[in-house]
Amino acid sequence: MRFLDKASGPFSRIGERGYFAADIVRALPDWRTYGVETVRQMRNIGVDSVPLTIIVAAFIGAVTAFQTRYQLFGGVQLSVVGLISRQSVILELGPLLTALVLTGRVGARITAELGTMRVTEQIDALETLAYDPIAYLVVPRVIAAIIMLPILTVFADAVGVGMAFLTSIVATDILPSDFMAGLQLAFAPFQIVYSLIKATVFGAAISFFCSYEGYNANAGAEGVGRSTATAVVITSVAILVLDAVTALLLAPYLQA
Amino acid sequence: MKKTRDDILVGVVIVVGLVIAIVGSLWLARGGLSKGYPLYARFAWGAGLKTGAPVWVSGAAVGYVSDVQFRPDGTLLTQLRITSDQPIPKSSPATVVPNGIFGDVAVNFTPKHSTARYIDGDTVVSGAAVAGLAQLTAKADSITTSVASLTSAMNKELVAGGGLADLGATLAGTNKLIAQLSAIAATQSTQLTETMTSLRHATSAVDSAKIDSTLSNLRTASGNMSSLTTSLDSTGRALSQIVAKVDSGSGSAAKLINDPALYNDMHSLLGRMDSLVADIKKNPKRYINVKVF
Repeated sequence: MRFLDKASGPFSRIGERGYFAADIVRALPDWRTYGVETVRQMRNIGVDSVPLTIIVAAFIGAVTAFQTRYQLFGGVQLSVVGLISRQSVILELGPLLTALVLTGRVGARITAELGTMRVTEQIDALETLAYDPIAYLVVPRVIAAIIMLPILTVFADAVGVGMAFLTSIVATDILPSDFMAGLQLAFAPFQIVYSLIKATVFGAAISFFCSYEGYNANAGAEGVGRSTATAVVITSVAILVLDAVTALLLAPYLQA
Repeated sequence: MKKTRDDILVGVVIVVGLVIAIVGSLWLARGGLSKGYPLYARFAWGAGLKTGAPVWVSGAAVGYVSDVQFRPDGTLLTQLRITSDQPIPKSSPATVVPNGIFGDVAVNFTPKHSTARYIDGDTVVSGAAVAGLAQLTAKADSITTSVASLTSAMNKELVAGGGLADLGATLAGTNKLIAQLSAIAATQSTQLTETMTSLRHATSAVDSAKIDSTLSNLRTASGNMSSLTTSLDSTGRALSQIVAKVDSGSGSAAKLINDPALYNDMHSLLGRMDSLVADIKKNPKRYINVKVF
């Protein structure tokens, strides 16, 4: 019997998250409850994360261009640096590292906020007042993350590519025209869409997993800390898995 | 008031993000924000063209490939978007040229002298394709195939057919022959050394004083021969003068030789001498009277 309990554990956890997702979907029509709060969460998740996103993207772009330049062997045209920098930043590093960084900054915050509300019985109080806590607390965070992650990723892509350009022409022997030629080579607008799709999926994952862990926190302050750590780990792993899945599904359409 | 500020901030960030995404995509896709104008070209299948490939005029970038459509007649209908103000002379052929070593290609116009220029919607002249990396790779592939078949044939002949063993045996025989030749050469060398030693001994045995006197005698004889030759020469000249005198008819000898009257006299004298001898033989007592006592 105990074996069956243990064996069914993972499925049980998946099922609980499924119910949680169903509750979120069910709360979506109640926009009057989460409308105003959504804007506030967009500010917290999106606007306040712009500086951190830009800093991370700038270093990503600079390092990508610099390392790419010095990996090239003789005879390779230098415009390849622009091409590789663009593809690396837009297709992979921009959305992925932005999501991972925001997992620590935004996801941990969501879990801690909701967990604290749970252990201090504020969520129970909302239920007592006939508020749907999912609509009021979780849906605004999920919507805000789904909207703002792509916006932040656009900033990350632009800053990353721009910093790659600056690094190339300032710190290496690449001419601006060479970098630009590679930057524009074989570009397809779907590459931007691909990046935004990834960011949307990552935003949903961050808000969903972190909200779930915070919403179901228990055992006081210690439980909140444990839930926060668990949320960050699960979300990080989920982002990497989703990154691979989206690449498998969408990469064939990237051909220019 | 705070909610209003949040609204504005969020709205600004979203709008800026969207503008960056749209303008950035357009800029990357078009090679700039200039709309430019389209030209059309047809290239053969397998040209390797793809959207975004650069368009050059003598190597200077003037636009990009904005669309490539497959045609069942063996061509690719290619739309070239020219974003530069650089005029492209009409009748300038467009050629697909290699761009780097990774198989990328570009479209290059080779300018021709013309006052007219390509305008919006023109179909450009397609030039002959330049051999690119793909063609070179194909060539290398064919060479590799030939080398592989050659190797296979050599393997068959030399290894499977026992040629290698024969070659080994030949080499062994050659080594043996060389060893024998070396032994012969060593023997010959010894004999040659002995011959040289004998020759050296013989040379040292020759008396140089005798050789000197012999050479001196030869030199004297040569001098004598020279004076003899001089004497013969003067003798010859004297004889020539005598012969000339005889020929000229002056002198006794010349007259003896040249005067016919003398010849006739001599002839009649000889006739009478014959008659006299005959008479003497016939009547010896008339002429010879021997008396003893």
